[in-house]
Amino acid sequence: MSEITSTCQIKKFINNPDNITKELLEGYTLAYRDKVTLLDGNTVVRTHKKQQDKVAIITLGGAGHEPALSGFVGEGMLDCSVVGDIFAAPGAPRVLNALKEFKREAGILLIVLNHAGDIMSANMAIQMSKRFDVNVKSIITHDDISAGIETPDEDRRGLAGCVPLIKILGAAAEEGKSLEELCEIGERFNNQVATLAVAMKSCTHPQNGGIIAELPDGIMEIGMGQHGEGGGGQMELLSADDTAAYMMKPLMEKLAVKSSDKLLLYINGVGATTHMEMSIVFRKACQILEEKGCELVEGKITEILTVQEQSGFQMILAKCDDDHVIYLTACASDAPYWTVIGKK
Amino acid sequence: MENLTIEAFKAMMHTTLVNITERSDELSKLDAITGDGDHGTAIVAALKAIVKAGSSALEFEEMLNDMAFGAMEESCGSTSTLMGAFFMGMGNAVKGTTLDVQQVKEMFRAGLTMLEQQTKAKVGDKTMMDALIPAVEAIEEAEGDVMMILKKGAEAASEGAEKTIAMKANFGRARNLGERSIGAADPGATSWACMFNSFAQGLEAYA
Repeated sequence: MSEITSTCQIKKFINNPDNITKELLEGYTLAYRDKVTLLDGNTVVRTHKKQQDKVAIITLGGAGHEPALSGFVGEGMLDCSVVGDIFAAPGAPRVLNALKEFKREAGILLIVLNHAGDIMSANMAIQMSKRFDVNVKSIITHDDISAGIETPDEDRRGLAGCVPLIKILGAAAEEGKSLEELCEIGERFNNQVATLAVAMKSCTHPQNGGIIAELPDGIMEIGMGQHGEGGGGQMELLSADDTAAYMMKPLMEKLAVKSSDKLLLYINGVGATTHMEMSIVFRKACQILEEKGCELVEGKITEILTVQEQSGFQMILAKCDDDHVIYLTACASDAPYWTVIGKK
Repeated sequence: MENLTIEAFKAMMHTTLVNITERSDELSKLDAITGDGDHGTAIVAALKAIVKAGSSALEFEEMLNDMAFGAMEESCGSTSTLMGAFFMGMGNAVKGTTLDVQQVKEMFRAGLTMLEQQTKAKVGDKTMMDALIPAVEAIEEAEGDVMMILKKGAEAASEGAEKTIAMKANFGRARNLGERSIGAADPGATSWACMFNSFAQGLEAYA
């Protein structure tokens, strides 16, 4: 047997744990080479570039959450994703390199999930980019409501609610919207999207094998973060219907959902929860919306942002304005993990 | 000393690197109590990068910006990034080859302001801010020449770091330890106290 087996207790198909990020990005860009290309070892860009006169959409974040966020680089979505090591921010200089690479008169919109390291990397990179006359604005996502629906934006984490935002902004940028218009479209959606996570089994950190959070048998935790951070809501495991109802209540409260609203509902599996379970949860959540008289304009049962082999899911609910619906459903996108044929 | 020249500032940073390197093991051991035990190594690496990146600059703004870039390019870790933020903030506030007392005060305040945009930690949270905030405030309030105000800053930083021994951590990984974090000084506050003392010592040796 190889050395790895004797020294490494982690039951995952990996090689040297230090090379995980590099190797996963190489594999990903080899597989989808017609759509994505690896730049400088940790930055994923579109193989077929968007025209220079359109705003570039860039994001950043740690690895270990695949397909997020690099899975959404492609036509009609992201131009570039700057990837950090497992669950770690990429650091300001790498983000700065991406900003310099995509520098253009139309400008750059940087989408940042609200996590301390990512915010710091983005802030510093934006500061440094002023030296190079880069026209960049940022949108910080904060869709997590586990800290309470009254909690200020800056204290709420960014979860998988960034993915529909990326779809909307990618489509609007492709259409030729200006940087200012994109900020308005994006912030409007950003204030109308809420996510709540639940976990029932934790995961191991793929590099050091550490168990990220303990969850006893028969217990689930509402609000567990993307890296196993506690959400404070440990409770007895409920049925699919009861879990869906329990989670929909604060989400609908947060968005002040009314009968005429057009809504997006995604169930995002975080790794070990089956599509079977997610479908059963979606059924109940959707029934609740229909009983309220709402219109479901976009639904998905999928894995867009995962947390290794954690079991659980994120429930994403968003109120959509008419333009958001068009950008989500009628505009084409061709990223490896997000393909929309489009109706235009 | 009425003014701070760019050569004097470089000498201050050199002394800082020497002193921090000497205390590297001690800082790492402090960090191992509540964190992952790499603070000594991380801060030495950041300072080495800072000293190297700033060596050829002829003017304050350029030098401080180069130092910030150097720190952040060295590592994505929080130590390097926060050091980088401090130097970038300082670089936004000053220009030229010589700073008067008022400009030195403004430079340190601008560094702190940039850091405060990156972290919400305040005095009492058992972080580097427990040394840094009182040091910058003392520098601003002090009267006298550059040497005098840096000495006041050094005293305030040391007192601030000392106070972290009795504190419970409210930030970072150490927060998870709760009451167990009481009894040892915060490694970040300790290294910033060492740095402010080194600034004063370095300037005195240079003068």
